[in-house]
Amino acid sequence: MNRERIEEFLYREADLLDRPDLDSWVNLFAENGIYWMPAAEDQQDPINHISHIYDDRVMMEIRRRNFIHPRASSKEWEVRCSHVIGNIRVAPEDKDQGTTVTSNQHVVVWYREEQRLYACKVTHRLEVEGEDFKILEKRVDLINPSAPQQSLIIYL
Amino acid sequence: MTSVPTGDFSQVVTPTRVHRSLYTDPDLFELEMTRIWGQAWIFIGHESQVPNTGDYFTTNINHNIPVVMVRDKSGTVQVLHNRCGHKGAKVVEARSGNARGAFRCSYHGWSYRHDGSLLKVPNEAGYDGTGFDSANPCYSMQPLAQAESYRGFVFATLSPNAPDLKTWMGGARDCFDNLCDRAPEGEVEVAGGVLRYEHQCNWKFILENLNDTMHPMVVHESIVKAAESYLDSLPEDAVEQRKEAEIIPPFGASYEKFEASGITGFPFGHHYDGGKTSIHADYSVDPEYHAAMVAAYGEERTREIYSFNTHNVLFYPSLTIKCAVQNIRVIRPISVDRFIVETWSFRLKGAPDSMLQRTLLYSRLINSAMGMVGPDDLEVYRRAQEGLASPSNEWVEFHRQYGKDEQLEDRTVGGGTSDLDMRTQYQAWQAYMEGSIFNKVEKT
Repeated sequence: MNRERIEEFLYREADLLDRPDLDSWVNLFAENGIYWMPAAEDQQDPINHISHIYDDRVMMEIRRRNFIHPRASSKEWEVRCSHVIGNIRVAPEDKDQGTTVTSNQHVVVWYREEQRLYACKVTHRLEVEGEDFKILEKRVDLINPSAPQQSLIIYL
Repeated sequence: MTSVPTGDFSQVVTPTRVHRSLYTDPDLFELEMTRIWGQAWIFIGHESQVPNTGDYFTTNINHNIPVVMVRDKSGTVQVLHNRCGHKGAKVVEARSGNARGAFRCSYHGWSYRHDGSLLKVPNEAGYDGTGFDSANPCYSMQPLAQAESYRGFVFATLSPNAPDLKTWMGGARDCFDNLCDRAPEGEVEVAGGVLRYEHQCNWKFILENLNDTMHPMVVHESIVKAAESYLDSLPEDAVEQRKEAEIIPPFGASYEKFEASGITGFPFGHHYDGGKTSIHADYSVDPEYHAAMVAAYGEERTREIYSFNTHNVLFYPSLTIKCAVQNIRVIRPISVDRFIVETWSFRLKGAPDSMLQRTLLYSRLINSAMGMVGPDDLEVYRRAQEGLASPSNEWVEFHRQYGKDEQLEDRTVGGGTSDLDMRTQYQAWQAYMEGSIFNKVEKT
């Protein structure tokens, strides 16, 4: 697995969220791909424990449609993000799990005319598809998952 | 706290309107904290959060008074003021945990039994002959004026004058029974963690919104359309995808459907919508769960339990529950324009794991700060909070179906799109604020 290609993929994914272009972003996921934002530190279980987000492609499809709907009042506000990605670590490839890539990400979100900062540890599980990757799972561990959260209408 | 001054709030509350200052005035907010939150039974937690001796759970009973719920040696769940009898430091800081032998203050090491009584003062000889009496309850972690639980749900009040919990709940108590009866073993327990959601607006907006059935088709139109457009795009055989997406469209139910669900109000500001039917009535029943229910209750009683179908039930002012979904939301004000909502989910004892998983799916999609329903609700509350700064109209109105509510012996019933839920809340608001709320209460 080429580290440079993995980094390039992470930057490209982040760029789609920064703009944001959810239509293109959703297509980075495998058909059985998952986006997970746990609601507790070191959360092990996405099904028997609550999460902020645990979306399969069904929910991603609904979210991306909702995101651009003209009557979504929470989405009338501009939302833009700026991801900075660092501390990238690539684990050896696993036949079943794909390639696991962890990174630290600081995401500034502009929403409701305010800037907010999210600090996260992000874990991608990627599978190779042709010359590119597909995301099997993207897990976003906030530094403060159990703190009261503000409305967030975009994936980090 | 024991005597609430009387006063006249008819200048800001009428049967069909409230003054905008109820949402924007910091002084009124402070009065609400002592007169409403300082008198009403406030939801603290569930007994299943403290299963063993010394297990504790901390929260505030209003915007700033810290309390701790703890199971003492006798097995009783106590609700204590979280304040050291010495210099006043908060004794317990963690959200939850186990205090093995005793609570110990981190300042001078005073320690307390799980019932709050003072256990030990270090180097106590220095108090000899000073008039200090370690047996005086003021030096303990004092219990709240009253604490009681109903089917595991623990409430406490700062007021010694509040009627007992059952009387205060009135007919809305049926909803706790229904929630627990939906468990084959007749009990529920907290499971699967908590979501905390910060709201930048007055705490009363969410209470008004719970059974405001005129808002969903407007506020939640986009997510309903998004789900429907996705469902339309699916091939016929996409059964699993359909099942998952179908949790959303009921939020766009028609005015007629909501009207048919009806609203029921009770003394002390409680109310629910639904009863015979609600937007949760058409969820399919898990066959394994149904079999466990029938084995426990028999077919007829099982049907009866399912058929009591409410949407949101409010125990004014701190708790709203969803019996059919098995989650609750706990409200805690912070300031006049800020509050926190906590969403807790429950396991039905004796039911398959799929039931808890469904509850958590619901909580995640609907109640998360990153969900697709909550942020649109909060957006409109915030617009109301900002719009009410305008002096163009001093009043917020709730006339819908006024005069058509039917007063029964212990409750008021009306159409599902009636504003009777708002009228019910503000009658209680006024009586709490005027100090007359517990006059003429007959105990059950």
